[in-house]
Amino acid sequence: MLHRRIYQFLIVYATGICILFLIKFALNLSDYVIPSPKEVWITAGQVFIRYLVNVMDTLAVAVIGHILSIFMATLVGIIGRLTSGVGSLIKIAAFNIQAYPIVAVAPIIFILLGDGLASRLLIASMICYFPLLLSVLGVLTEPVSDIEHFYRMTGRLTWQLEVKIRVFENITKLTTVVSGSATLAMVGTIVAEFIAADAGIGYTIRIALYQSDLAKILVALFLIGIWTSLYLVCLEWIGHLIQKKWQR
Amino acid sequence: MLSIHKKTIPAVMALYLIIFAGACGYREKPPLDNIIYRLKWLFNISSAGDIWADVHGHFLKQGLTVTVKPGGPERDAIKELELGHAHFGVASADQVIRAVSKGAPIVVLAQLFQSNPLQWIYRPDKTQIESPKDLKGKIIGVTFGGNDETIMRALLAKHDIDETEVGLFSVRYDYTPFYQGDVDLWPIYRNAQAVIIGNRLRNAGEQIAFFNPHEAGITFVANSVVTTQKILSEHPETVKKFMDALLAAWRETMDPANKEKVVETVHQFDWDTPKEIIREQLEITRDLTVPFGDFARGGEFFGKIDPIAWKETEKIMLDQKLIPQPVNIENYLTPVY
Repeated sequence: MLHRRIYQFLIVYATGICILFLIKFALNLSDYVIPSPKEVWITAGQVFIRYLVNVMDTLAVAVIGHILSIFMATLVGIIGRLTSGVGSLIKIAAFNIQAYPIVAVAPIIFILLGDGLASRLLIASMICYFPLLLSVLGVLTEPVSDIEHFYRMTGRLTWQLEVKIRVFENITKLTTVVSGSATLAMVGTIVAEFIAADAGIGYTIRIALYQSDLAKILVALFLIGIWTSLYLVCLEWIGHLIQKKWQR
Repeated sequence: MLSIHKKTIPAVMALYLIIFAGACGYREKPPLDNIIYRLKWLFNISSAGDIWADVHGHFLKQGLTVTVKPGGPERDAIKELELGHAHFGVASADQVIRAVSKGAPIVVLAQLFQSNPLQWIYRPDKTQIESPKDLKGKIIGVTFGGNDETIMRALLAKHDIDETEVGLFSVRYDYTPFYQGDVDLWPIYRNAQAVIIGNRLRNAGEQIAFFNPHEAGITFVANSVVTTQKILSEHPETVKKFMDALLAAWRETMDPANKEKVVETVHQFDWDTPKEIIREQLEITRDLTVPFGDFARGGEFFGKIDPIAWKETEKIMLDQKLIPQPVNIENYLTPVY
């Protein structure tokens, strides 16, 4: 699983970078517009360690934000399934809030919370929370009639059991959604850093953009891709373990 | 796995071929039929002359069809010139020097600002700055990676202030840390945001002052008009007409006699800024753009390139290792006025 993810990412990255170099040489563009392979290589040697630390910083925030979102989405999803009215209200609110562009909301968050960890965490959580919530709500409000009917008729259907049945029946779907939202958490953290934070790889990309240094950005993208792939592999592995345990 | 490769490799090769063919044919379009002029920033007072040239038909009088396009934080006129998306553009000196050091085939045609509008705003009742030495112990806002960082580091070095003796604070577009007094000095464009922020603070009963690096001995060139060497060599007449139109427009814009008309014209494009603010911005822009800061003496020399200032800008960038080796920037200054 690990090598397949890394291998897939490397194909995508290599294809993208080859296209860039192809355009550069076909149009005879200077290194200012698209850096030469040599420049990218030299830049990688210069900034790799520093950028690796920055990516780890971003990833740490993204993972915490992601975990918070999963807990929040589960909690709100369970509350939302209680009655169709509450569930519907939460769904509509989630849809509406999701529609706001985060780049417009982020400056307000930074004014209120400053440009430290709290803002990055909140934005990362916000970006991955709503898609997660909608999926969790979808799963928890959808009855598994065949099984629930039996417990309901025998008077043994508690809300905990109901949640367990619905989660069990949709475990593959849920683990896929959780893995998918990890990418959103990473994107959210990078966006937050890009807009106003003073740490992380998003902030580093911002500085490289000020300096029109595409070579640095390409190195940053490489590291972001590798580490996001590794995180996804971890989540898929955890999902696989959970599925195996439940199926036993 | 093998079957996937059998399908994937030809698909990737086909994609490369399509892109290569597209890229080769990309710049085959006839140049200079419709001239694109890409500004550095959004429409505001710093592009007053560019707007004026467009609105009052200066380009048309020269027989040119020109589309003036606003810039922005993610726009880079030099890259657009090279890619063929624009024919003329406005770029700051550090952008130009960086681009030249990486082989970009560009030339500077005119220098719009004679004095860099980048200054630092501070509250004189809380922060006393009589000389650069007074910066010691202060929290100074800089945009890391931006030209204000370069200017401030050059200034500190020139006045033998160790960087550990000041606090450099990372700034973005949000002024809250300065409003709240967490930062003593905040970088600001003297002719644009400074007027808006300054008025807001004055209305709140606060005193404001500006620290000008130029007065502290740092010369760092700001916005200039650029084009490619190819356009200059293949269409010298068009370049001459374009620059004649543009500089004539800028001279008219900076002429105090046209003040109210200029305010009206700029307001058509920068509608969020009240006219009284634009009026104030215009006065400051005149001081920064007209040689000698005096229209009667310097109006006719508008756009003058100052090679010594460019050399100094290059030296600052070299000292800070922002370029790996000298670029001899004077070879890229091609005044057309």
